[in-house]
Amino acid sequence: MVTPSTRTSGLIDCDIHPVLSDFNELVPYLDESIQQYMNIGKFAKGALAKQNSGSFKFPSSPYANPLPVPLRADAFPPNGDIPGSDPAFLAQDLLDRCNTTYGILNIGHGTMAAFHNVEVAAKYTSAANDWLYDKWVKSDPRYRMTMEVTPLDPAMAVKEIERIGKRPEIVGINLHCVNIPLGKRHYWPIYEIAEAYNLPIVLHPDSEGTGEYAATAGVGPASTYMEWHTSLGLIGQRNVISLVCDGVFEQFPNLKVNFIEYGFSWVAPTMWRMDKNWKALRHEVPWLKMLPSEYIRRNIRFGTQPIEEPARPKDLIEIIQMIGAEHMLLFCSDYPHWDGDEIDRAFLHFPQDLKDKIFYHNPLESFRF
Amino acid sequence: MVNTKEKHRLVVCSAEELQEGNRQLIEVNGVEIGLIRAEGIIYAFRNSCPHQGVPMLYGSVVGTMLPSKPHEYVYAHHNEIIRCPLHGWEFNLKTGKAMFSPDVSIKTYEIKEENGEIVLYLDKEPKQVTRKAFSCILSS
Repeated sequence: MVTPSTRTSGLIDCDIHPVLSDFNELVPYLDESIQQYMNIGKFAKGALAKQNSGSFKFPSSPYANPLPVPLRADAFPPNGDIPGSDPAFLAQDLLDRCNTTYGILNIGHGTMAAFHNVEVAAKYTSAANDWLYDKWVKSDPRYRMTMEVTPLDPAMAVKEIERIGKRPEIVGINLHCVNIPLGKRHYWPIYEIAEAYNLPIVLHPDSEGTGEYAATAGVGPASTYMEWHTSLGLIGQRNVISLVCDGVFEQFPNLKVNFIEYGFSWVAPTMWRMDKNWKALRHEVPWLKMLPSEYIRRNIRFGTQPIEEPARPKDLIEIIQMIGAEHMLLFCSDYPHWDGDEIDRAFLHFPQDLKDKIFYHNPLESFRF
Repeated sequence: MVNTKEKHRLVVCSAEELQEGNRQLIEVNGVEIGLIRAEGIIYAFRNSCPHQGVPMLYGSVVGTMLPSKPHEYVYAHHNEIIRCPLHGWEFNLKTGKAMFSPDVSIKTYEIKEENGEIVLYLDKEPKQVTRKAFSCILSS
């Protein structure tokens, strides 16, 4: 157990994953048209579910995690359900154990973002937001949540933010990644209301490779889960470049974008490359009034998990110094996923003042608290 | 060479040798100085990019985009910008300053056309002066 004596600040865990035990949990939040589409509730198709195209299949990653138990095997709730499905047990197993001040819930079913039927995706997303709020956020005062929106339909996303975005327990907008780079004006209506509501955009892997509108992973499909997982950083990098070059942070100077689970060690060379190119090519992006790296430092934040583990652990501190990322990193446990980080072990080589920023002050500034 | 007031006057070439689009190269006290005429205006600048030292005389003379709102292009400085031939850094020929930062610049020199002659006014006495040959496809 992490006692307060080992920390000198509070703790905000920026990435906790609640999951549905069963899609039927959403039945109270969905009208019959979507229940029928998803074959849930009274519209279950029974035997036809195993037929190819015989019933709705929720979009999931084709890259199956090859581990024997692809979630923390020490995180199964007492009833034997899936890790991350029991709000009370999670509060005890994670928040109590780590003395967490606030835990930000990022729903683990974001694969609908790249789904081909955007209308269904949007209604599913709204239902998932309401389920998360009712079942989880109301269950413990330490829980906060990001709300999901449909990236393929900004108008519907804006309506969803207008519907629930002012609830104080909602601290960010979980946008998800599709095959439209984040800088495109397609998203600007979402950024406009996000900035007005003081809600950061959160990007978290979920939809990569899962649906027809999924972002490409660099050069082409990965062969393995390991290849897919390692390549996520490339998608983060591509979207950072897009956000800066397309002038999002000139148009929305107070907007924050939090990249969760895309890594951060790549940020330094990305900055160097962007800054160098801007000196030569600034006439192509004349709306950039300062070095690209300055926009990144001002407007973009990065989750710590999965923490990168160089052979010499202190190399990571040097990379943080190279980036100037002391104010940019957000603690994430990623509980209950297999690649999560334990707070008392993952940051052993970090100086105390940096840990205080990562654990508490940076998240406090970056999310809407 | 005539020392006038604080500056040292140096005749470089005849005006005919620096007509519109022409370039000339001179070395003074071991420092190369490029000369160019664009839109009727003559410019003189140190022939070395502060970045990686490439000769600026081979740079394209162009206009550029002013700082603007996102997704707007505002063209300006027509033929007042010289771009480094290697990485494309833009320098304002009138001020020497890089477009991306006022803290980065190429040195510019006072230059005048006087009675059919191109004349440099230098801070230091030009003890060694050499006209240098070069071949630039951008020269007319």
